[in-house]
Amino acid sequence: MNGGEIRRTKLLALGLVLVGFGLGLGGTRAISPVPQKFPIQIPLGIPADLWELMIPADNPMTEAKVALGRDLYFDKRLSVDNTVSCATCHDPRFAFTDGKPVSEGVGGKKGARNAPTVLNAMFNEEQFWDGRVKTLEEQVLQPLINPVEMAMPSHDAVVAKIRGIPEYARRFQEVFGGPNPVTIQNIAKAIAAFERTLLSGDSPFDRFMAGNPNAISEAARRGWELFKGKARCITCHEFNPSSPFFTDFKYHNIGIGMKATQNFEPLVRQIQQMAQENRLTKEALDRLALTEGFSELGRFLVTRQPKDLGAFKTSPLRDIELTAPYMHDGSLKTLREVIDFYDKGGEPNPNLDGGIVKLNLTEQEKADLEEFLKSLTSDWVRRVARGEIKLAAGPTSENPALRLARDSRSSRR
Amino acid sequence: MWPLKWKKREQEYRRQREEFFEAVKRLNRRDFLKVAGLSAAVFTAKTVVPPHSFQVVDVVRAEPQEKPLFRFAYISDTHLYERELNERFVNAALRAVRDVNALDPPPDFVIFGGDLAQLGQPKELELGKQILSELKVPVKMMVGEHDWFLDMGEKWRELFGPENYSFDHKGVHFIVLMSVNEKDFWTERNMTPMERMLTVAQLDNPIQSRFEVGEEGREWLRRDLAKVSKDTPIIIFSHSPLYKYYRPWNFWTEDAEAIHEMLFPFKSVTVIHGHTHQLLTHRIQNIHFHGMLSTAWPWPYAPEGLPKLTVPMERPDPFDEADGTGWGTVDVHRDGYVDKHYNLWSRNPITVAKAYLESWGKEAIPPAPEFPPY
Amino acid sequence: MRTAKLLILVVGIIGLALVATSFERRTVGAQQSKASGGSDRLVVQLCDGETKLEIADARAGEVLPPEKAREVARRMMAAYAEQQAKQVSKWTARDRLTWEREQKRVIEEGYKLFHDWRALGGTIGISCDMCHPDAAATHPETYPKFQTQLKRVATLRDMINWCIENPMKGKPLPPDDPRMIALEAYITSTRKGVPLEPGKH
Repeated sequence: MNGGEIRRTKLLALGLVLVGFGLGLGGTRAISPVPQKFPIQIPLGIPADLWELMIPADNPMTEAKVALGRDLYFDKRLSVDNTVSCATCHDPRFAFTDGKPVSEGVGGKKGARNAPTVLNAMFNEEQFWDGRVKTLEEQVLQPLINPVEMAMPSHDAVVAKIRGIPEYARRFQEVFGGPNPVTIQNIAKAIAAFERTLLSGDSPFDRFMAGNPNAISEAARRGWELFKGKARCITCHEFNPSSPFFTDFKYHNIGIGMKATQNFEPLVRQIQQMAQENRLTKEALDRLALTEGFSELGRFLVTRQPKDLGAFKTSPLRDIELTAPYMHDGSLKTLREVIDFYDKGGEPNPNLDGGIVKLNLTEQEKADLEEFLKSLTSDWVRRVARGEIKLAAGPTSENPALRLARDSRSSRR
Repeated sequence: MWPLKWKKREQEYRRQREEFFEAVKRLNRRDFLKVAGLSAAVFTAKTVVPPHSFQVVDVVRAEPQEKPLFRFAYISDTHLYERELNERFVNAALRAVRDVNALDPPPDFVIFGGDLAQLGQPKELELGKQILSELKVPVKMMVGEHDWFLDMGEKWRELFGPENYSFDHKGVHFIVLMSVNEKDFWTERNMTPMERMLTVAQLDNPIQSRFEVGEEGREWLRRDLAKVSKDTPIIIFSHSPLYKYYRPWNFWTEDAEAIHEMLFPFKSVTVIHGHTHQLLTHRIQNIHFHGMLSTAWPWPYAPEGLPKLTVPMERPDPFDEADGTGWGTVDVHRDGYVDKHYNLWSRNPITVAKAYLESWGKEAIPPAPEFPPY
Repeated sequence: MRTAKLLILVVGIIGLALVATSFERRTVGAQQSKASGGSDRLVVQLCDGETKLEIADARAGEVLPPEKAREVARRMMAAYAEQQAKQVSKWTARDRLTWEREQKRVIEEGYKLFHDWRALGGTIGISCDMCHPDAAATHPETYPKFQTQLKRVATLRDMINWCIENPMKGKPLPPDDPRMIALEAYITSTRKGVPLEPGKH
């Protein structure tokens, strides 16, 4: 019932966006700029109309806003001791993750979860491993004030700090206008707008799907067949031209972090108690999610339904070669470890998803799957990882989604 | 194919059901929340917790719920093969046992709803007995056709005792009734015991006879009921539904009407049945009927004849081997009528409350599925 | 029986005259029909199984003298020839009979496979009918459609193989495997007459 309402809202939002831009829905095309006000290069493999659809009506894209968001994203002054920015844990050099099992905030404080990539995060149905917020704008709000991340004492403190920086005060005025442009909502909107330009596509696999059979190796092609068939990957790591993100955006218990001996009962009881006393605020939930033990309850923290115990969002697989270590707790170091984990049918536990079964893959099949996964890396993301492209604060930052769009725009003139 | 009279009854069922669903659609959101809040309020188990989205002001507005007298749990239709052939069904049965053992406070007892084995073979039945012996609370056993038709109950009786029995618990008279007898279709066909078993085990097999309590069983029931005062609440455990739902699949008890006649004089009667592997709710006069989930797999709903009070469960996704399966609990109220909880493993739990049946489906309506059965 | 008796004559073109002398009392089959006048006139049926010929000057049950029998045979041949001249279809009743028999045979084979996990290469004792009694919830009329297991638009055949490989833990069948065809024949036969609704969920 809720889902229906949300869907309707989204459609309405789409309608508003379209009216705003004054244009109709374009078809899904390969490399071609979206004919609209905001110049963006949608990479091969990502439906351009879907990108438009996912832009919220109350946060339209503008170049100035994206530039502001980019500079905030890389700005360590958003943390309490000026040591941590968004990019600390979502670092372009690691395909917008941090290469660590669990993220480290101010003073090296550790959370309990592996940093998910920001690439294509705008397409997520919900944000965070447990989906505890819906939008990127809501997501931005949480790490700022989580004591093990950026650790600002409050959102007001964040606003005061940004307002005190004249350069930002001027740019917020330009972007948002009004008597009071620096607000926590506008900070979140700017960063979210920037994140909506971080798109992953144009991988060898995308070129394979676009009709070039030699874009990926023979082993990768075998791996793709396994991915769709015997290995049962595609059911959760959904891929089709309408939803090419390698995730179903749903939550599954595959047993990671649920060792047979672990007893969830006391944790479940505490969560129930807190819920009954109305103590499960957004902030409380965010802290629990990054607290060892509670973190492992996964989606249950949000829904408090037994079926969601130990369930986490299906990770997307694009650029997966660059985002080790894996799983919500970063407990698996290599892709081969991940494949082995699924092959043995996950980690048995009382709430194991009924779709996780033994696969009986051969060594050759595992190698083929690994080759396939390595064909999902976006070319520009790989170049950023190699240091060939520098994505950073300031106007010299290179983002192909923006740069190429400008090029093609100017070449049309 | 079937008698016209029966066809007509099916059509009537269908019409009533359609009317009912129309009525459900007309419900406003507030009513729904009130209903949902009611069902949430009775969950206290470890793995069964109130759905958070229902903790809204409407719960407070809802009528104060009478505290149930006691609770028992159910596990049903495990359909065990030997472990070497099929581990999936074994693991599912073990999961149900583990879930029931985790209930806090523990239920007073567990009813096992029949079809412990898939083909009634001694090793399957023994495996089942071993799995159920892990339960921390007493188990009441009931026989299903899959347990029976290989040796006509010989092994089952050896392991679990008589197939018809009754007991009293906290003022309620419980009856376990063998309701999967069939008229002899095998002798004239010269069937081996295994052929007979396989015939009965095939739901859509047209050869077999229809389930019945039978003359002997009815006589036993008559004698048992004679000892009970008319205002003592009665709960009957039966494997087949004890009413007529869908004849071709034996979702059916041929002598249901004769049984109902025996039960009408009593103030409160509830029938909890197995066999159908799905959410099923029905009421005939004073008799409330509830189906049980299977741990092994869900049956589809029959193409016709679904009782109009049944709000069906959503169609299961076969990728998830646990979808559409599970176990449950039953909260017995002072008057003997029950709140029936379906603990689906891959879905949010669903409660069919006593108030729902008492109001003939007007109150405490269970949530309707987004994707109903085909 | 009050109605006129129908003599169903299996009349071969060769040796017709031979047969004609002795076809009285050769009542084959169970079909009955009433002669147009409601009288007891002899009605014969041509070997197409459809065309009936009423013999005005012969009574049903009458033992025909040889000349009369030859005359009846001659008229039947004439009717046959006339019919042949009007024939536009190359397909005969015999052809139709074969089609129907084959269809039925393959459906029956499909029914057997549907109820036999071993025959489909299943390995854990699960057969199709255990989740789909009478092929319920197979909804062949809704294909092709998006299937959540495969995350793409799929056919009934894809899903038969998916079930063999996944719940039944067997190996998928080649698309031209007679078992696949038989399963499709059985499953679709259970939804005969249901309107096609590809993409319905």
